[in-house]
Amino acid sequence: MDKLLLLAMNGLIWGLIIALIALGLSIIFGLLDIINIAHGDFFMVGTVLAWATLQATGSFWLGFLIVPLIGFLLGALIQRIVIEPIRNAAILSIVATFGLSLILQEGVRITFGTTPRRILPPISSTFPVFGVEYEVYRLFAAAVSLAALAGFFLFLHRTKLGTWMRAVRYDRDTAIAMGVPAQRVYVLTFGIGFALAALGGVVAAPITTVEFRTGVDILPFCFMAVIIGGLGNLPGTAAAAVLLAFMEGIIQSFADPTLARISSLVLMSVVLLLRPQGLFKGARR
Amino acid sequence: MRTLIERGVFLAFAVFLLTVPWVIPKLVNAFWVSVIAEILIWSLFAASVNLLFGYVGLLSFGQALYFGFGMYGVAIGVATLGLSFWPAFGLGILASVAMALVSGIFAVRLTWHYFAIITVVFSLIFYFLAVSVKPLTGGDDGINFTLPPTFSLGATQWSFADATFQYFFILSVVALCFYLMHRLVMSPLGKAFMAVRDNDVRASLIGLNIYVLRLVAFVLAGFLAGVSGALFAFFGRYASASYMFYHVSGEAVVWAIVGGAGTLFGPIVGTSLFIIIREIVSTHWEHHALIVGTLAILAVIYASKGVVGMWRDWLVRLDERSGAAVKSKLRTEP
Repeated sequence: MDKLLLLAMNGLIWGLIIALIALGLSIIFGLLDIINIAHGDFFMVGTVLAWATLQATGSFWLGFLIVPLIGFLLGALIQRIVIEPIRNAAILSIVATFGLSLILQEGVRITFGTTPRRILPPISSTFPVFGVEYEVYRLFAAAVSLAALAGFFLFLHRTKLGTWMRAVRYDRDTAIAMGVPAQRVYVLTFGIGFALAALGGVVAAPITTVEFRTGVDILPFCFMAVIIGGLGNLPGTAAAAVLLAFMEGIIQSFADPTLARISSLVLMSVVLLLRPQGLFKGARR
Repeated sequence: MRTLIERGVFLAFAVFLLTVPWVIPKLVNAFWVSVIAEILIWSLFAASVNLLFGYVGLLSFGQALYFGFGMYGVAIGVATLGLSFWPAFGLGILASVAMALVSGIFAVRLTWHYFAIITVVFSLIFYFLAVSVKPLTGGDDGINFTLPPTFSLGATQWSFADATFQYFFILSVVALCFYLMHRLVMSPLGKAFMAVRDNDVRASLIGLNIYVLRLVAFVLAGFLAGVSGALFAFFGRYASASYMFYHVSGEAVVWAIVGGAGTLFGPIVGTSLFIIIREIVSTHWEHHALIVGTLAILAVIYASKGVVGMWRDWLVRLDERSGAAVKSKLRTEP
């Protein structure tokens, strides 16, 4: 029973981090109609940058500030160079972002190397729960993710830029007619998408390993959250991420992790076929 | 009526196809013969992506699943069931066609993004299954098997152990598949495929059954992927789950689109380009994936019709400039 609760708690915390990353994937899809195969690698770049910040400055906390900023700039740059020219051929975006994913992975392999590294949790204390010593950092990671999620939704609903983003997603042509600079909103969206994934990377870096392959593992999970929550439905995506990770945590307590992964993939196929608009509410695109 | 230039190019191309591949073992050393054999196999795999995307308009990101089933069909057939060459070959193809039929029934209900995603999901499910069901698939290590002879006539045997025989066998099978695909594309069924690709609403209004056409295309694409997977199993003498991962599907999509989606030879051009680059570059520099990624991006930005598509456009422009032909013919993409 203790083990079950422990895995469920791990799942919940991991789900909050995934929600952050999947949110980036979801806004990029909702606004730009782009299936971003490179999104897992945006997360991976975040973990690597967190490691680099720690090496360069000796402070892990600085990473929370610097890495999302670098992520935002990289995202904006990528939107200008790669995504903008193919905006009218949405299906080809899969090929372009696949190429991007290869470039990011190989780029990290050249600069960072192939050996997986670990970052020690910056908060080293533990506390006893469910019969084990639980890392305080994990709770902190959950809190940061929750704060970032709340901050993003506030940004989306309370600021001018957020309103522009929602307007362009709702009806691009009308938004442009009303004077919304759609071009800039696209750049902003892609930048924020990258920044969210990179922030997820910083938060997760002390929990997971830092290497060029982590993005490949995390990508299917993010897609599952986005699909099950409903493409473009942001609160649904966040909820689905938590739900899925929680479910996988529970399944892992009595079966092996692969089986947990397979069952969420099967759940995702069923959702795709029966409710392509997602599990929650009607289509909110 | 074909113009002079087109006829010349066509003739040169036909002569090239009928001669050069067949004398390759005389021209280059053993290493390049095996590279070319590999290119042929992967071209067939890229052709399966092309059949779906280029002719029916469905972008599948999970063709590696059917490639993997072809591989495992052969490997399990030989290693576990003790089958000889042809039954194992048949088992591999049958496994992938059956899998394509079953998953296609669900997948082709969706289109566009949703279709791309569900094909990846199906392939991921079976990738994880293949990794975890170790007794059957060997997990990460895969299955190695000893090669059965292809033909045996009394005491004399022909098998893939002979590199030249292996090359010619692969060439014949791949050439046959491409010939069948050429016939398919020219047939009424192929025209129906293209009608669905260009406008599915109009196609349904003239009485075509969109769902059945897409399903048929999906199964045929599964067949092509299965044949290439089975050939690759015999070629490498093993099968492994890593060939079912979505990166393999993704590379085939890149090959097909860079070569030219919706053209018969596009996949061959694209695959040759990338594998030759890989073979040449990887001996000097291990990061050839950077080149693959960059080329994929450049191709979709600047040449979304692919190499063969650009070549066609160039021929058409050349014709118009020479003014020789009174152009009124309808261009049907072969």
